[in-house]
Amino acid sequence: MTSYKTKKIVNKIIDYFICIVIVAVILFPFIWMLPATMKDKKEIFAIPNTFFPKNPTFGNFKTIFTIPFNGFNFLRSMGYTLLTSSVAVVLNFSFNMTAAYAFARIDFRGKRFFWPLCLSTMFVPGITILMTSIRLMHLMHLVNTLWVVLLPGIANGYMIFFFRQFFLSIPSSLEEAAILDGCSRLKVYLYIFIPMSSAPMVIQGMGCFMANWNSFMWPSLTITSNTEIAQVMQVVKTLSAYYKNNYSVVITAVFIAALVPISLFSVFQKKIIGGIAISGLK
Amino acid sequence: MVGKVKKRSFRYRDEKSAYFMIMPAVLVIVIFQVVPLVMAILRAFQDYNTGEFVGFRNFVYVLRQEVFVKSFTNILIFLVFIMVIMVVITFLFAQVLKRMKNKFGSATKIIIYLPTLFSGILVSIMFLFIFNYGGGLITSILLGLDKDPIPFTIMMPWPYILIIGISIWGGFGYHSLVMYAGAIGIPESYYEAAMLDGANAFHRLWYITLPGMKNYFILTIINLASGTLMMFELPMMVTGGGPVNKTMTPILYIYNTFNDFTVDSNIVIAGAILVAILICAINVVIFRIIRSEKSMDD
Repeated sequence: MTSYKTKKIVNKIIDYFICIVIVAVILFPFIWMLPATMKDKKEIFAIPNTFFPKNPTFGNFKTIFTIPFNGFNFLRSMGYTLLTSSVAVVLNFSFNMTAAYAFARIDFRGKRFFWPLCLSTMFVPGITILMTSIRLMHLMHLVNTLWVVLLPGIANGYMIFFFRQFFLSIPSSLEEAAILDGCSRLKVYLYIFIPMSSAPMVIQGMGCFMANWNSFMWPSLTITSNTEIAQVMQVVKTLSAYYKNNYSVVITAVFIAALVPISLFSVFQKKIIGGIAISGLK
Repeated sequence: MVGKVKKRSFRYRDEKSAYFMIMPAVLVIVIFQVVPLVMAILRAFQDYNTGEFVGFRNFVYVLRQEVFVKSFTNILIFLVFIMVIMVVITFLFAQVLKRMKNKFGSATKIIIYLPTLFSGILVSIMFLFIFNYGGGLITSILLGLDKDPIPFTIMMPWPYILIIGISIWGGFGYHSLVMYAGAIGIPESYYEAAMLDGANAFHRLWYITLPGMKNYFILTIINLASGTLMMFELPMMVTGGGPVNKTMTPILYIYNTFNDFTVDSNIVIAGAILVAILICAINVVIFRIIRSEKSMDD
C-alpha cells in the first residue's frame, strides 16, 4: 500500500516538473525581452549578458513613440491597425453570422449552389489568388487606402461554416414560436440567435482580430506608398532593419506590439481556452 | 389544405429574407475570392506579354527554376520534422495536462497558449535576440564556457534547427490544447473497465487512448500540414531564405518575386497554383491513409 502511495506521489511530482519546464520554455523568450526594453544599445549585447538593466532608461520607448523613420510612425500605425482590426471584427460578424443563420435555418432555392460556393473558399490558399487579388485592388483603386486591408477579408467561408454549425445546434422550438407570433426572420436572428452566441463570437472575434493585427504579407504588398496608414507588423519589420544597430529599440517595438493581443487574451482567456475543444481549427 | 397554403407563403417570405441575409457575404466572396481565382487560373495558362494561351508552359518554366524546386524539398523537410515532433510531444503533454486537475493545470493551459498570439515577425525577433551572434544570450553563455560563439542563422544545420524549433515553440500550446480536448473526451470508465480486466499501461494506450483520439490526430496533422506549407514569416526574418536558399520556402520565393521584375507574374501564379495543389494533395493523402486504416478496423 505504501509503495503504491509513493509511486503516486512520484508520478505527481514528475507531472508538476514537466509542466514547470514547459511553462518556463514557453515564457522564457518573452521574459528575457522585458528588461531589454530598459537597456541601451550597448548594454543589450554586453558580454556577459545580464538580466536586469544596470542603468534603466525609457529612452527606447521615447525613440519609438516620437521619432518617425522612413515616413513610418509607430504610434500612428498602432492606432490605424487597432482601428482596422476592430472594424474587421464588426464587419465579419455582420456579414458572416447573418449568412450563417440563413444557411442554417432557412430553406431557399439555390442553397445547394450558394453553400458550396461559400465553403469552397475555405480550401483555396490565399497565396493562389494573391497576385490577381492585388491586380484587382489596383483596378478598383483601393491600393494604399484602409479599404484594401478591410474589404477582401470581410466574408470568410470558415467563419460562415463555424457559425452555421453553432446555429444548427440551437433547438428550433423558440424560433418557431417567435415566427408564429409574427416575428420576421431578421428579428428572430437579431433578438434570439445573436444573444445566444456570445461564446462562439468571442472565439471567432478574437481570431479575426488577431489575424488582422498580425497580418504582414497582404498590407506589405498593398500599402506601399501611403506610409501613414501602414499596418503595425509592416512597421515592426521595417523597424527591425532600420534599427539594426540599436536592437533595444526593435525589442521595445516587439514588446509593445505584443501587448495588444496579450491584453485582449487576458480578458477572454477562459472562453478561448475552453473554446478550442469546440472550434477545432483556429 | 389551409396549412399548405400558409406554409407556401411562409416559404416565400423566407426566401426573400434568406437572399437578403446571404447576399452581402456571397457578393464579397464572389468579388474578392472567386474573381481573383478565375483570373489566376486563366493567367497561369497565358503568356504574360501577348496574353495568348500557351498550355502548361508557365508550369514547366517554374518547375525548371532551381530555387523554386529547392524550396519544395526544404518545406517537406520542415514538414516532416515539425509534424513528427509536434504530434508526439503534444500527445504526451496532453496526458500530463489531463492529470492536472487543479489551478496549476489551468494556469499552464493559459500560459502555453500565449505564443499563438504573436505573429511570425514578433516571434522571430524575440528568438533572433536570444541567438544574436554579436552578443545574444547564447553567445554570452558560450563565451562564458570558453567556447566559440555559433552564427546560428548561417552555419548549417543551425538554420534548420532554429526554424523548426521556433515553429514548435509557436504551435506547441495550441496543438497541446487540441490534443487535451481529445484526451478528456475519452470516458474514464473505459480505463477503469480495462484495469479490471488486467490491461497494462501499454494496452490502455494502444487500445483505448490512441483509437479514442484518432480524430484529434487527424485534425492536428492536417492543421500542421497546411500551416507549415504556408511558412513564410519565420524564414524571411530568421534566415532570409539563406544560406544559399537552404531555408527558402515556396511562399517566401513567391513573395520575393514581387519585387523581381525579371520574373513575369504569370509564372509566379503558376507556382502559386502548384503550392495549392500540393496542399490539397497532402490533405487527400492524409485522408486516404486514415480511411484505409478505418476499413482495416472494420
